[in-house]
Amino acid sequence: MGVVCVINFPLPEGKSGQQTVDMLQKRIETLGATKTGNFVVDCETYQSQQPAPQRVMHVLHNSEHPATAFAILDTGTCLVADNTFDQLIHKLKAFYAPKKNAKVETKGQRYEIGDFIVKIGSVVLGQNISFKGILIEVEYCPCVMPGECWGLMQEFMQGFLGNIIDSPPQYIKDRLNNAVMPSDTVMQYLEFYNNFRKAAGQQQQQQQQQQR
Amino acid sequence: MAAMPNSSVDVSVEALGEYQIQEVTLDGQEIYTQPLSMSENLTKLAHKIDFLKEESEEKGKATSEVEKEEEEEKPTPAAFQASLWPWDSVRNKLKAALTEMSVLLDVLNIGREKRYMILDPVNQDSPESKTGMYVVAKKKALQSAASILSAGSDRLKKSQEQMSKRTTPDFHNDLFKLRQKWRLKKVGSNILGDLSYKSAGSRFWQNGTFEVTKSETEYPEPSVNQSPPKHPIHKSALQVTVPSELHGVAYIQVVIKCISDGTNLVTADIDLPSANASIPPDYLWYKKLEQAQNVLFCKEVFAQLAKEAVQSQSPIPHIVVGNQILSHLFPGIQLSIALCHSTGKEKKQGVLPLPSPAKTDQNYVLEHSLHQLLTQVHYRNSYHPMPHPVTALLGMSKRRRLAGPQAYTRSELLDLGHSENLLEKVIKQARHIVIRYRAMSVIDELAQLVQDPQIAAHCSPLSSATEAMIRVCITSLGFEIVRTSFLLHITVDNMRAVCIDDRVIDMSCETQELKDFILGQVAQHHITTVQKLSKIMGWSMLSCASHVGVGEMEGVGTAQAILIASPSGDKVLSIKSGPASGIRVCLQKPRGADSLEYPGSVVTAQKWVNAGGPFHEVHLDKMEGKNFVNKIELLMACLVGEVDAR
Repeated sequence: MGVVCVINFPLPEGKSGQQTVDMLQKRIETLGATKTGNFVVDCETYQSQQPAPQRVMHVLHNSEHPATAFAILDTGTCLVADNTFDQLIHKLKAFYAPKKNAKVETKGQRYEIGDFIVKIGSVVLGQNISFKGILIEVEYCPCVMPGECWGLMQEFMQGFLGNIIDSPPQYIKDRLNNAVMPSDTVMQYLEFYNNFRKAAGQQQQQQQQQQR
Repeated sequence: MAAMPNSSVDVSVEALGEYQIQEVTLDGQEIYTQPLSMSENLTKLAHKIDFLKEESEEKGKATSEVEKEEEEEKPTPAAFQASLWPWDSVRNKLKAALTEMSVLLDVLNIGREKRYMILDPVNQDSPESKTGMYVVAKKKALQSAASILSAGSDRLKKSQEQMSKRTTPDFHNDLFKLRQKWRLKKVGSNILGDLSYKSAGSRFWQNGTFEVTKSETEYPEPSVNQSPPKHPIHKSALQVTVPSELHGVAYIQVVIKCISDGTNLVTADIDLPSANASIPPDYLWYKKLEQAQNVLFCKEVFAQLAKEAVQSQSPIPHIVVGNQILSHLFPGIQLSIALCHSTGKEKKQGVLPLPSPAKTDQNYVLEHSLHQLLTQVHYRNSYHPMPHPVTALLGMSKRRRLAGPQAYTRSELLDLGHSENLLEKVIKQARHIVIRYRAMSVIDELAQLVQDPQIAAHCSPLSSATEAMIRVCITSLGFEIVRTSFLLHITVDNMRAVCIDDRVIDMSCETQELKDFILGQVAQHHITTVQKLSKIMGWSMLSCASHVGVGEMEGVGTAQAILIASPSGDKVLSIKSGPASGIRVCLQKPRGADSLEYPGSVVTAQKWVNAGGPFHEVHLDKMEGKNFVNKIELLMACLVGEVDAR
């Protein structure tokens, strides 16, 4: 488990999601990376059924940690628990009900290249599986302090992503001198998921207004 | 009879006209008691009057008891003479009461005057009598209990005597003994038993079912039988039929051998003593069962090892041929595990040679570990850690349980699933045995070879099947204060030496590396001793190099050198100690006045008299002294003495 950085790769003009993913995969493969299977990071959102303060809980699974479920409250508290947590939450239906049409999933290929693990995934939201964007996860295994290896990671990412990053993402910036934890990875994913959801919500509102 | 004042009708209340039934005859006829006449009724009622009743309750017990006795006598005639006079009993009672009152009055009067009689409080000794009663009662109870017990013991004794006297074996008795040690069950009219380790957690396919029957063979007289000196005849009414594949004797032979010269390094046999003995037909049933169970156990060990050998993916594949598994430990060294099973009927198979008695030192180690390993497997099969929380899955290890909350990665989880199997463990232990044997033989060899500093090795008793620790001390005779020691840590396939100066040296399984290292240590020991000695003798150390860069190359390691000057500073000793080349000692003396007069000398001034001259080698082998340090000590003393003489 090394330093993990998750970034959003903006879609170039006039290219579809699949085309962009293919392009990125081609680039990383020409760098000499080897395919090591698929990866999934999924997020289910639950809402508390009590009316007073409406709390939201996100339950995430990362295929890199197959035996673990991460439960994150809207306050940022993260619980790292066994996979059986899903069954527990299923039993607590009366208190926490799953939010409809709020399931987010990132799926894609996992690559290994030297000390780096690169995952290129496309984000899919809701039941109608609408494509939302591309997330790229880069992990540098030998190091656990982001401050120590950010320069190296940035240079590596520039190698196949181009100049889209000039400074570390806010989440990493805040924790440059902390050792990374498994929960940090899913927290970064969750940030992007929340952004995608907000954008989707705004789009819907705009569409509704236009229809009126 | 009661009459109501405001009603016109009189109602009389009297007893019913029905008589009490005295008896019912068999034919259903009821016989009634005759009703009492008025006078009889009166007598009956009058008889019920008792003046003493209340009095006796108020008075002391002594008098009331007397009254009761009287009372009991009197009513009987009164009942019969009831017709004479109804108040007779009443009069008698009154009369008795009067008598009693007057007696009491007399007693009180006499007692008050205190002339003839004094009233004393009476000692109540009733509790004492009660304890006596208890003792008697308890005695009785104990006696009865003791009699029951002694009767029981008598019966037991009798039955024991009968048992000892009885010469003919009893089937049920033997069956009872069998039942205490083996699992038996009755199927139809047969009695079947189970030899297998299934109840202990084994999952071996072969079932060890045996049948118990009543033996009908007549036992021959001792003189006829051939075996009595070895095995006394055990008459038994039981006959045990073991499946044919479990007949005979089996053992597993583990041999570590060099392929090049075919010599065994270590041999281990399970159950060596009984390995070649065939079972006599009249063997005791329990011995027979134990043998059969051992056969089953050995078969299971071998089957497990063979399965793992086939499944495992090692760089050099294990070879399974017939009843033998071959595996490479180190280049040129092979581990062979063989199952030897002789049924006794056929001649010895001759597959494996008998190990020579000198090489059976490791016997118990590998035998024990092989037994233990399979027992551990059995234990793990039958005992699972309790799940936490209790609703979790059963059979999850503690580490797997923590994997979720500690967010193990995929590779960590995969590692978790992999556990060492029996064969891997045996191979590891065998490797360790080989490498330990090698290390020990190298140390022994060098201890014999290197005479000057003594090499002593101490094996730590705190070792495991795959780890051992040896402390090696190098000392010189007579100078034991100076000691070079290092710790040799032997693991599965490498050795690690930890020196006293914090150097840690990792070595492979090759013995040459260890040999070089120890020789280097010996060379170092010489220099260290001279260094310490020079301090004591008052010489000063000019330089000390642990890795000399000049001079001939050493075949192994590097040479060390030390330069020491005498107290007056005019003589210098140079000592070089190499692991391969040995020790060279050179002495530098001042030139002296003679050198100035030497013809052709360039240096002629007087001031150069005390300058150091050339070094001359000292022939240590021609010197007196027990060992190197002793010789150096003498040399130093000599050189200092020379100055004084001059």
